[in-house]
Amino acid sequence: MSRLASAPILLLAGLAACGGVTPEAPGQRPMATGDVQAAAAASYVKPGDLDEYYLFYSGGHSGQVFVAGVPSMRHIATIPVFAPYPGTGYGFDEETKAMLGGFTWGDVHHPALSKTAGDYDGRWLFVNDNGNNRIARIDLRDLKTKQIFGPIPNTMGNHGSSMVTENSEYALVATRFSVPMGSQYEPLEDYATKFKGAVSGIRIDSATGTMSLGWQIMTPPFNWDLGATGKGASEDWAFWTSYNSERATGKLEANASQKDRDYVAVVNWRAAEAAAQAGRGSQIGGVTVLDPAQVPGIMFLLPCGKSPHGVDVDPSGEYVICSGKLQPTSTVFSFTKIQDAIARKAYSGQEDGIPVITYEEAMIMEVPVGLGPLHTQFDGKGYAYTSLYVESAIAKWKLPPYAAGVDPKSLVIDKIPVQFNVGHLVTAHGDTRNPKGDWLVAMNKMSKGRHLNVGPSIPESSQLIDIASGEKMKMVYESYTEPEPHFAQLVHRDVLTPIEFYPKGENRNPHAIWQPADAKVTRNAARRTVEGNVYAIRSYFEPGRIQVMEGDTVILHITNAEQQRDEIHGFGLVAFDKNLVIDPGETKTLKFVARKSGVYPYYCTNFCSALHQEMQGYLEVVPRGRTMALYRGNDGEMSFERRAPETAARTVDPHAGHAASPGAAH
Amino acid sequence: MKTLIQRWRTPLLLVAAALMALAIVLPLWGMTLVSTQYPEGLRMVVYPGRITGDLGEINALNRYIGMTPISADFFVELRLLPIAFGAVAALILGSAFVKRRWAPLLPLLAMTTVAAYGLLSMRGRLYQFGHDLDPAAPITIDPFTPPMMGLNQIAQFASYTYFSWGTLLPLVAGLLIALVLWAGWSEPRIAHPHRALALAA
Repeated sequence: MSRLASAPILLLAGLAACGGVTPEAPGQRPMATGDVQAAAAASYVKPGDLDEYYLFYSGGHSGQVFVAGVPSMRHIATIPVFAPYPGTGYGFDEETKAMLGGFTWGDVHHPALSKTAGDYDGRWLFVNDNGNNRIARIDLRDLKTKQIFGPIPNTMGNHGSSMVTENSEYALVATRFSVPMGSQYEPLEDYATKFKGAVSGIRIDSATGTMSLGWQIMTPPFNWDLGATGKGASEDWAFWTSYNSERATGKLEANASQKDRDYVAVVNWRAAEAAAQAGRGSQIGGVTVLDPAQVPGIMFLLPCGKSPHGVDVDPSGEYVICSGKLQPTSTVFSFTKIQDAIARKAYSGQEDGIPVITYEEAMIMEVPVGLGPLHTQFDGKGYAYTSLYVESAIAKWKLPPYAAGVDPKSLVIDKIPVQFNVGHLVTAHGDTRNPKGDWLVAMNKMSKGRHLNVGPSIPESSQLIDIASGEKMKMVYESYTEPEPHFAQLVHRDVLTPIEFYPKGENRNPHAIWQPADAKVTRNAARRTVEGNVYAIRSYFEPGRIQVMEGDTVILHITNAEQQRDEIHGFGLVAFDKNLVIDPGETKTLKFVARKSGVYPYYCTNFCSALHQEMQGYLEVVPRGRTMALYRGNDGEMSFERRAPETAARTVDPHAGHAASPGAAH
Repeated sequence: MKTLIQRWRTPLLLVAAALMALAIVLPLWGMTLVSTQYPEGLRMVVYPGRITGDLGEINALNRYIGMTPISADFFVELRLLPIAFGAVAALILGSAFVKRRWAPLLPLLAMTTVAAYGLLSMRGRLYQFGHDLDPAAPITIDPFTPPMMGLNQIAQFASYTYFSWGTLLPLVAGLLIALVLWAGWSEPRIAHPHRALALAA
């Protein structure tokens, strides 16, 4: 085609292109080749090397906790907490079943690591359950859930939780939903007067980590949202944001967003503890409940812009930052000024007898961070990082002290887009006195289009951002998680010292056995029960045959007698819907009723050895009325063909010699 | 004037006795097994009277090839070793104070006997363990004899065996005693003082 003839076509193509061009969204930061290579190098952890940080994600409504490594962002493990998890047998053995208490899910929002002197100490991880009003403790020695506390009385929607105090004295908790306190039912019309929220002080035992309910503070029926504990000078205090100070019950979208300001609760938990111990307060629902109107000094209210969501305390403990999700500012309050205002009684009103501190007395700055500010974390170098949900970005801004007359807009020094709609963010040791200042993880609520299309049920995205190299933040890596993380904790790997198997000497279970010769099964004909101690090792179960009668209640205590890491054995009982998974050195108990006669195999479900396929046995459920061949008179000890009697020379003792110390790479 | 050997005899023999006594608590021999899935290695160290290391794991793996489980209780001669070493140390000590040139011969002979018996029995055990394999074992391998010292490959494992301080120190002690004996024998004997004068003349 001659050039002249093709001109109209080119012109048309050009016009079409103009009309169809999508302008780039403001502030986008495309990655140049150099950036890509630097990012790849920064996030790559080569085979055989370890990540530098543990990232403990809350699992949201999956009810679990996810463990990933930073900077690789690889998912390493799932710690089951509130929902059964067959992969590790959680919820199938008697002990974890009891802990779950009949519930099958929970809603985990805010994990909080235990602290000593304001920094992570690697002992426990506390996680809340917004769905069934509970709080759990994970032991970081073996990364297992050890206690589920609750349902917490007088509490609905354990959302503003778990906030751990500076020396892990308490995990502080606040309610999202207000309900009648002290009586079972009140009509919703009486919401404003008869419904109450609650702040609970969950006591943590300093030696064992065991949680117990210390006391509660009765609050007006505001929806408590997020909380933060103080540090340093403010370590005896805790803060919560709220929304719905309008006390609305319906159409909250509009009705809870009418007032220009809601409240930050300023709670002196130390004073509340003292008041409870002094016998003040009343017993409601079996708990000591303090009414701030009757016990002055334990709670104050501070106005904060329009349905504030997150509240965070800077590493020094002086600045309390609350972000109003429906207005584009993060408000910085000074703890010193708050104390001063309280001392001078500089109040602008009260709510249900709780003094409201005059806003201007405590506020230092309203920083125009951007649209939809939610949560703030820190780098320990004088900067704060706030997540912006609506703007889908992270803002980096300067913390006080500020020069007089400073232009607030100049305080925001960088903003990086994230994909998409960030909720929480976390920086390394970001809520402690000593943030590391190197990594930031943004946990985004939408991942649409960023990964291979997996259909309508879309996972979440989390992005790794470098905050150490220079003033501008750098996007480094992106990863996808199960639904759905909220907050997380990012802690240096040196803080944790988990074991790799359970040393034999630690197993206090009276049914634990360490020799195949000790395997035993006993039937009690009168009570129709069969109880057995089962031995599991590479690659057999002893006994390999268990005989019970139809209708018997069967209790099996299975010991994994290995003392070597990763030698995990499962116990899957075919057709019974049972799967126990037993770690080396552990003993777990299985209980079931053998309802139907037949022969049911059991087998090792967790791959253990070259002869894993051969690791099996048979459960014989003998029909009623028949004689059980392995018992004398269907009662007493079951006799079975034991493994070939081994001479003294051939007896295998997995514990001979000095076993390598658990966790040490020998 | 004392000769060289007269001056050094007692100290050397005392050192030899001390080395022998020390060897009671030092490792004699060791074996390390390395494979892809055990990159940090599995170890077994033999001391007089006991065996330490990852015996539990080594025996669990050896079950597959039908090898007899290894435990200190199985080796009678191992339990006698501390007594043997102690006796030899006592003999050396005794010979230090018996000023006869044949005195160190006794402990040296005792030592040689213990060493010979030890090495022969060890070779025997290595043969026994590598050949007395349970025919009913899941995995059948050709019988083998692990070397006393050096590298070997068995299934997926590279094995390395070595002698340690507990065999080196007695060896040094033996050499010291041999030195004392040799020096003692090469020294001319002086029966009569006037004969020495005559020789000197």
